[in-house]
Amino acid sequence: MLSVALLLALTALPASATQPVLRVLAWPGYADPEVVLSFEQQHHVRVELTVVTSDATLWDKVSAHNQDYDVFAVNVAELQRYLARNLVQPLQPANIPNTQLQLARFSDLSAIPGLIHNGKTYAIPYTYSQMGLIYDRKQFRTPPRSIDALWDPRYRGKVIAYDGGTHNFSLAAQALHLASPFHIAPGDLPRAAEKLIALRRNVLGFYTQPDESAQLFLRHGAALMFANYGKQQVHLLKQAGADIGYVIPQEGALAWLDCWALTRNGRETRLAHAWIDHLLGPQASRYLVERQGLSNTLSDDRDSRPNGRPVWLEPPEDTALRERLWARIRSGDRLSRVLAP
Amino acid sequence: MKFSIAWRLGLILVMVGLLGTGLTGYFAYQASREQLVKSSEERLQTATHVLMRQVTVALNDVKADVRLIAQHPQAPRILQRSNPGFQSLSEDNVAKIFEGMMSVHPEYFQIRLIEADNHGMERIRVDRGMGGLLRIPEREMQEKGHYPYVFETLRLPPGSIYVSRAMINHETGAHAGEGRPALHVAAPVYDVRRHAIGLIVINVDLQGLFAQLAADLPPELKLYLANRRGDYLIHPDPARSFAFDRGQEARVQDEFPALAAMLDTQPRVEMHLVATNRPGDAEPLVAAFDEKPIPEMEGDDAFILGLSQPLSSVVSESRQLASITLGIVLSFSALTVLLAILLARALIRPLRQIVTEVRRFTQDGEIGTLPTSRKDEIGELAHSINRMEQQIRQQIDDLQQQREALDHLASHDSLTGLPNRRMFLERLEHALARAKRQESQLQLIFIDLDDFKDINDTHGHAAGDAVLQTEAQRLRGLLRETDIAARLGGDEFVILFEGAWSEEVIEHMKHKIRSALTAPIPYRDIELQSGGSIGISRYPQDGGTASSLIATADHAMYRSKADKA
Repeated sequence: MLSVALLLALTALPASATQPVLRVLAWPGYADPEVVLSFEQQHHVRVELTVVTSDATLWDKVSAHNQDYDVFAVNVAELQRYLARNLVQPLQPANIPNTQLQLARFSDLSAIPGLIHNGKTYAIPYTYSQMGLIYDRKQFRTPPRSIDALWDPRYRGKVIAYDGGTHNFSLAAQALHLASPFHIAPGDLPRAAEKLIALRRNVLGFYTQPDESAQLFLRHGAALMFANYGKQQVHLLKQAGADIGYVIPQEGALAWLDCWALTRNGRETRLAHAWIDHLLGPQASRYLVERQGLSNTLSDDRDSRPNGRPVWLEPPEDTALRERLWARIRSGDRLSRVLAP
Repeated sequence: MKFSIAWRLGLILVMVGLLGTGLTGYFAYQASREQLVKSSEERLQTATHVLMRQVTVALNDVKADVRLIAQHPQAPRILQRSNPGFQSLSEDNVAKIFEGMMSVHPEYFQIRLIEADNHGMERIRVDRGMGGLLRIPEREMQEKGHYPYVFETLRLPPGSIYVSRAMINHETGAHAGEGRPALHVAAPVYDVRRHAIGLIVINVDLQGLFAQLAADLPPELKLYLANRRGDYLIHPDPARSFAFDRGQEARVQDEFPALAAMLDTQPRVEMHLVATNRPGDAEPLVAAFDEKPIPEMEGDDAFILGLSQPLSSVVSESRQLASITLGIVLSFSALTVLLAILLARALIRPLRQIVTEVRRFTQDGEIGTLPTSRKDEIGELAHSINRMEQQIRQQIDDLQQQREALDHLASHDSLTGLPNRRMFLERLEHALARAKRQESQLQLIFIDLDDFKDINDTHGHAAGDAVLQTEAQRLRGLLRETDIAARLGGDEFVILFEGAWSEEVIEHMKHKIRSALTAPIPYRDIELQSGGSIGISRYPQDGGTASSLIATADHAMYRSKADKA
C-alpha cells in the first residue's frame, strides 16, 4: 500500500511540478467551474482561482501580492488606481481573437474611457451590471422609486445592503444629492458617513456575496436590497422562487463594467491572454447569462441593456479613506469615532 | 548414491518445514499487520470521538456560561436602567463577572452585553488585549444591531442559544479577536414580560479552544476542523484554514475524497468514518473524521472534526512486526533444518543396516542382526527379509538334495543300489590315475551269474530281480571301504580292489566270492540256486586302460565259464 502510494507520488510529482499554474482573481460567478475545467484541459494547466467579494480585498491582494496573481477582474473605475500605482501591465488585444466576437461598443476600446493609457491597452471588457434595488413585491405596493427607500424607517430591519466602502459612499452621495457620487468634497464626508451610519441603523445586515445576500433576504423576509451584483442577485432569488422585483432608482443606478487585466508582475502572460480569450468565448459568455444572470459582451438582448440612467463608476476621490471609514461604520462605531483620525 | 535417499528425504523435510514456517510467518504477519492498521484506525477513531465529545462539552460550557450571565438578574436591570443610582455599580459588577469568566477561560476573546435598542449598542464589553483583559469604555462602544449574532439572537424562541458559524472576525476594535477565527455564542436577555431586550455574546477563540482540547494528543496526530461545506477551519497547514475568507477554496473532501459522501448526506446526522488522503498529496495519511451537527448553529451548520496520522507511523509499527516475524521464521527454519537432518538420519540408519545385511547375505549367504525389534514398517521390513532369507536357504537345501538324488540315480543301478557302469568307469579311471601316480596295483574282478536265464525263465522276472538283489547284497558284504562293486548290466557285476594283491589273496577272494554267490537264495517259499563265473585282470600286468582291464577280466570270466561247462 505504501509502495503504491510512493509510486503514485513519484509519478504524480513531476507532472504537477511541470504543469503551469494560472492564478486568477475573479468575482463570484465569473469563472464557472465548467469553464475553468475546459480551460485547464485545453491548455494542460491548473487554474488557481481566488474569489474576491469587495474592491477593497481585490486592491489589497493586487497591491500587496502582485506577483502572486496573473490575471484579475476589475471594474474600469477601480482600474484607474491600479494604473496610477503601476500594478497592471499592457496586454495585446491581437492575442485575444475572441474580442472580434464582442459587440462593437465593447470591442471599440478607445470608446470606453480608462482602458487605454499612453496608447497601450490595459483591460478587456467582460461583464457589466447596474446596482439596482431588489424589492419584495408583497411588501411594496408600487416599486420603490428612489434609493431613499433604503433609509425608509418603515422598512427598518427589512433592508439589506452591501458591505463595501467605495460603493456605499457613492450611494450615500447620491442620497445626499451631491454633485458627483465619486467626488465627495472633504467637507461633505461627515455627512456621507452619517448617512451611512443611518443606513446601518436601518438595515437588517450587510452581505458580501451574492448567495449570502439571497439567503439573508429569504430567511428574514426582507423587503428591500441594494443589489451590488445587480441581475446576478435577481437571478439567484428568482431561482429560489422569491416574488421580487428589480428597479433602477430615479437617481440612476451605479453601473460597473468589469474587465480582465494583467498584473504587473504576473508570470503567465501568454496563458493570461488565453484565459481572457477563453472567457470571451461562446461557452463562458453563455454561462454568464444563463447561470449567473449577468450580462456578457457578445450578445445584446433587451434584458441586458442598462435601463434607466446608468451612472458608470468612476475612480472615487480617495478609495482608501472610504474603505477605512466604512470599516469603522461597519463595525458599529458612532460618527465621532468614525471620523476620528 | 549412497546418501541420496537420506539427502532427498532430508531435503523434502526441510522444504516442507520451511514452507510451513514461511507460510505461517507470512500469514501471521499479514493478519497482525491488518490488525495493527485496524487498531491504529480504531485508536484514531476513538481519539476523534473523545475529542468531538470534548468539543461538545466545551461548547455546552460556553452555552452554559452565556445562559448563566443572560439570566443574571443584573442584566435586564442594566439594560432597562431601572435604578439610575446603581447603574454604574451594576455595570461594574457584571463586568467583573465577565472578567472572572474570561480569566478562567483563556479561549474567550470577548464577552459583551448588547442591548436590543439603540441599534444593538454594546453596554458592557470586556476584550482580551495583548496585555490582559480590557474593560472597554463607553465612548468606544459600537452598535452591532446589523450583525447576525445580534439580529438572529433577538429573534430566537425563549430558552434558545445562538451559535454563529465559525468565521474570521473582521470587526474593528475587537483587540485580540480581530482577524482571528471565532465563534459567537449568544443568548437573549429577557425582561419580566419575556421580551428580548438585549443579549449576551461570548466571542470564542476557535483555535485556542481546539488547541486546548488537542493539547494532550500525541504529536504525530494532526487536527482538522471543517464546516458543513467542508471548508477547513483548522488545518495543519495554516494556509488552508479559512481559505474561503480569502476567496479561495480548501475543502476536506478534496483532500480526503471519502468524505464527499459524508458531506452530501442529508439530513445532517452524526457520522464517523476513516479516510486516507488523495494519493499523490504530500504525505500519505490515515485519518478519522466525525461529523457533529450543531443544531443551534446558524444555517444548521456542523463541525467535521478529524485526526490524521502519517501512514508511515502506522506502517513503522508493522515494519517492526515484520522484523520480529522474520526472526521467528528464521529461527524456526533453522530448527526445522536440524530436526529434518536428525529425523532423516534416524530413519535412514535401520534402512542402511538392512541394506548392509542383505548385501552380506548375497555375498556370504550369511545374515547378521536386523532391526526386527522395531514395531514399525522398518521392523516389518526386517522381519520380511528374515523370512525371505530362511525361505531362500530352505529352497537351496532342497535343490541340493534333489541334485544329489539325481546324481545317485544317474550313477547307480536302481534295482541293486550298486553303482552302474558309467559311475564304475569313472571310478576306475580315477583309481587307474591314482595307481599310476602311486605306482600301486589294481585288481578287477568280472562276475557273471550262473543260471540266471533259467531262473528268469522258470520263476519269472521277479525271481530274477530277487536273485540280482540278493547277490549284489552279498557282494557288497565282501568289500572294504575302498573297494567298489558295480552292476554293469544284466547279470554282470564287477568289483575293483585297490592295493598290491598276491596270488593267494586273489585266489582267496575268488573263493569267497564264489561261496557267497552259490549260497541258496530264499524266494517266496522256495530256494533258488545261482552261482557266479569269475574273471580277473590286474593293473599294471593286464593293461593300462580301463577298457583293456575290463576286456581282459571279461575274457577271463568267459574262459572260466567255459571251463565250468
